[in-house]
Amino acid sequence: MSGRRAALKAIDWLAFAERVPSNQRVMFNALKTRTDAISAKLASLPETPPAIDWSYYRSAVAKAGLVDEFEKKFKALQIPEPVDTQTSKINAQEVEANKSALDFVEKSKVRVVEYEKELEKFKNMIPFDQMTIEDLNEAFPETKLDKVKYPYWPHKPIASL
Amino acid sequence: MLSRLVFLSANSLRSSGLIGAGLVQASRSLQTSSQRLAPVPPLPDHGGKVRHGLIPEELFEFLYPKTGVTGPYMLGTGLIVYLLSKELYVINHETIYAICIGTIIVYGVKKYGATVAAFIDSINEEKVAKAQAAKDSHISFLTEAIENEKKEQWRVEGRGMLFDAKRNNVAMLLETNYRERQHMVTNEVKRRLDYQIALQHLNRRLQQEHMINWVEKNVISSITPQQEKESIAKCIADLKVLAKTTQAKAAA
Repeated sequence: MSGRRAALKAIDWLAFAERVPSNQRVMFNALKTRTDAISAKLASLPETPPAIDWSYYRSAVAKAGLVDEFEKKFKALQIPEPVDTQTSKINAQEVEANKSALDFVEKSKVRVVEYEKELEKFKNMIPFDQMTIEDLNEAFPETKLDKVKYPYWPHKPIASL
Repeated sequence: MLSRLVFLSANSLRSSGLIGAGLVQASRSLQTSSQRLAPVPPLPDHGGKVRHGLIPEELFEFLYPKTGVTGPYMLGTGLIVYLLSKELYVINHETIYAICIGTIIVYGVKKYGATVAAFIDSINEEKVAKAQAAKDSHISFLTEAIENEKKEQWRVEGRGMLFDAKRNNVAMLLETNYRERQHMVTNEVKRRLDYQIALQHLNRRLQQEHMINWVEKNVISSITPQQEKESIAKCIADLKVLAKTTQAKAAA
């Protein structure tokens, strides 16, 4: 049957662990323990069951033909492979995750561009002791005093002094 | 002129916020074009040099080539004498007030000018330092934020591993299940065959025992009373013979 023994992809758990952010560490640990349990169970089962010694049974069992019948039926038996219901779901999840990841990366890139722009602005600012009040208002618009709304000194509501 | 009076002997007075801005705004207003020009150059550390707190050095420099060192002093003395003699400046009680108050002011500024200037400077320094600290922390915050974003992007790249792990798990479970089924089949067949063999052994044993019992029973029942008497008499006779032989042996 094809599809049996789908090759297990080797997973580098160390590299995987590095990439896990701290808020998902618990889930990662749970996944790891589960995986370890499953692989331990797999390793404990031998690949093929021990063969049945038909000649011994043929000589030992008195009933004629019983052993032969058993042997025939046993050899003809095809054990059905367990059906794989989850892989398609996992693939769908992966596609979704890829989409949202690309989304996130896009947004992250936009944020990085913003940050870098601000960083440039800050780095290229003239030093404070060479600034005038007008320069300060240009660089930090929030320091500009609204002389129209508050025409009298200190040009801002007293409570915010 | 008044600004120079303040600069006086307190040479440490740097461009404080108020006065500095005023000066600079004065010079900025000369940049009348509508375009943004280069930032105004920083203010000089010290104001123009003055002699006696009142008269700028430039006058002395200006007059030096023609009249030498004493020129401006002669000019000053001549002017004062002219004003007094022509009574263009009248000496009255206000002169006395001016002299007294002037003396006090000069004494006060000379004695405390430096400390007051330093104190005012420190206030301004604090403001600037606070602003600078805010700016630095903001810069470091931005760089950190950029770092974090890059790190998160790197993390996201590892998302495939999760799904590989999941698929592996599924494959392993399927494999385990398949093997378990195989084992189960083999074990069941074996059990049935072993059962047959055990059944056979049991049958055999029962037959044997039954037969033995039957034979024994028959033998016992076939011993007639006649035979029993005969065998008992024979046994007694044998015993007598045996007793005789052992007596003989013991005597010998």
